[in-house]
Amino acid sequence: MAMFLLTDATGIGSDDLDPGQGLIDLTIIANDTGFGANAAAGGQQLITYAPTLTGVVQQRLDTLVNTTFTPDYGSGPQTVDIVIAAGTAAFVLDDGTSLANNGTSLPPSNSGLPGATLNPTLNNLLIYDTDQNICVARAGTGGDIDLPESNPVVLYHELSHSFRILNNTLLALTATCDPASPEENAAITDENDLRTDLAMRQGVTPELRDPNIHCGSVGCDGGCCIIATVASKSLTSQEVRSLRCVRDHFVRNTEIGHSFFEQFFQDYYSFSPQVCTIMARDRQLSGHLLEGWVNPLLDFWKIIIARSRPSMTIESMGAEFVRRQPSGPHAKARRDALQRTLTYWSDGGSDENPWRAELAQLLRERAWPSEYIQWALVSPVRIYYDLIRMCVDGAGAHAIGCELERAVASWAPEMPISDVWASLSAEEVATELAFVESALLQTARCRRRFAQRLRNRLGHITAIAFVLNGREQQRKGAS
Amino acid sequence: MKKDDVKSSDLQATIQSVEPVTGATARKRMEVVVRLSNKSKRALHYISDMRAMRYDPLAKRLVIALSDEGREILPLNVEKVPVIRHIDPQSDAEIRISVPERIIKLPSQTPGGKLAFEKHDMAEMQEVVVEVGWADVPFYKDTRPRKAEASRKMPAALWEQHKVRTTFRMPKSGAPKTE
Repeated sequence: MAMFLLTDATGIGSDDLDPGQGLIDLTIIANDTGFGANAAAGGQQLITYAPTLTGVVQQRLDTLVNTTFTPDYGSGPQTVDIVIAAGTAAFVLDDGTSLANNGTSLPPSNSGLPGATLNPTLNNLLIYDTDQNICVARAGTGGDIDLPESNPVVLYHELSHSFRILNNTLLALTATCDPASPEENAAITDENDLRTDLAMRQGVTPELRDPNIHCGSVGCDGGCCIIATVASKSLTSQEVRSLRCVRDHFVRNTEIGHSFFEQFFQDYYSFSPQVCTIMARDRQLSGHLLEGWVNPLLDFWKIIIARSRPSMTIESMGAEFVRRQPSGPHAKARRDALQRTLTYWSDGGSDENPWRAELAQLLRERAWPSEYIQWALVSPVRIYYDLIRMCVDGAGAHAIGCELERAVASWAPEMPISDVWASLSAEEVATELAFVESALLQTARCRRRFAQRLRNRLGHITAIAFVLNGREQQRKGAS
Repeated sequence: MKKDDVKSSDLQATIQSVEPVTGATARKRMEVVVRLSNKSKRALHYISDMRAMRYDPLAKRLVIALSDEGREILPLNVEKVPVIRHIDPQSDAEIRISVPERIIKLPSQTPGGKLAFEKHDMAEMQEVVVEVGWADVPFYKDTRPRKAEASRKMPAALWEQHKVRTTFRMPKSGAPKTE
């Protein structure tokens, strides 16, 4: 028997580990009735597995659980077990490496393998963060780091390292992540087995990781996304893909856009997965959110993207809005759904349904305090509601275009100002500002308002003062 | 062309504040605000994200390393590439570093080789040290075949020319002191 799940250890309490999540992650990997665990004893649970399935993933798990490994690292064969610590983001190794949004498989201390000096024990110690928010390179994209990692996938990746540590066949590890070292390439290849298996179980197309790139970055929508779930029931639908494409190639590839999404993801994924859970229990809610929030929100952002094209006029913007509305009674239904959403947001606690009361509380505590959520997900829907009311009342494209322009001009310059502005050089500030202006702040009034907010917040930073003062002088000179 | 001689003192750092963060995020944390000043006549390039954190419980000192020096190569799920920014000549910049409210450290040596952890509450720390690795050139991938010694070092550790270090004593009462 070779695999244990840590439930307690010297120096930490049960609050510092998450064996429950660890067991769930292993169970998801196995997806087999023969998988289980004994009751905790001596601070750990023995993992058991009597396979009834014969897939690649199940075979690997069977080997890891049911083999007594006796590798010889140079001083004779020794029995080595796998000890899994499923834990919090607080784990740090002796060299200072943080395991937040990461995982590692440390070889036994006497093995002489990479990482062995950081393991005090003679077992293979696998530690991973059970609250992952990390993006890795998507296969077939030339290195786009936009593929989310889930807990079971991270755990299976580390179990792949464990497999070679226990067989003393660890491949070369290098410090570069692009190209990935042979060892990481092998672990990613194994990880893709699980990704394929998970996708097949759900009947969707597998999203695979590029085995040649081991780089990644924090800030990925690895949790359940309400918008994607409601809009399309799939993370790989054309609708969601096109929006992701805009997000990643239009916004996130700028410093400001990237940092905006980092903070936005941080706030959004503090409540989105729980909302998904509530939606799973309350099917009506999903339908309501589709017309009362998600569709209008997606429409709004598409119009904002279209608005950044120089050819767009007030008239054509209004026409774009009208074109996107369903006909007659459906437009009224959308308006009513939006009205219900906005009413619910303002007095959600009054709902009799306990799940919806739970949702209201969740939004009150996690979503509403975030200026990122308010700006990106709430205000747009309010604007949309005012416009659809006009549309239903028979207003023409010009009138709607004028109102849209007025509303956007008030909303856009209130975009949250992230801390990353303070760390940019003057040239970068100028470039980023030019991007924000071309994408969102088309009028002089909008630009002045945003510049004023930037100055109020970070005017003491040299680069920002330099750029804003330069622009001010240019403006005075021109006038 | 006139050569800009860069000295190790050209990039200076001061910790402005260390404060707990409250808000919409799920993870509780502390935020360390660091001010960087480039005193030289050329742009300098620095690592702007935390690469390692080391806590000394006896001194109650947390060292936050924006540097890959001393880090080992491990089997990891993902290698996070350092975020490298540049700071203009005679300019300053500010970075914010997020630190968890507690750290659970796996010591590399424990009595009898038994599995044991150390839990440290960051509210108890008395001193915060921030180290920032920097160079006068941007980070470029070294595409040469690597010698054995170099291949054991993180790429950013090979790139780094200097390290600026700043210390912040947590206030018992009165104003905090930065060195």
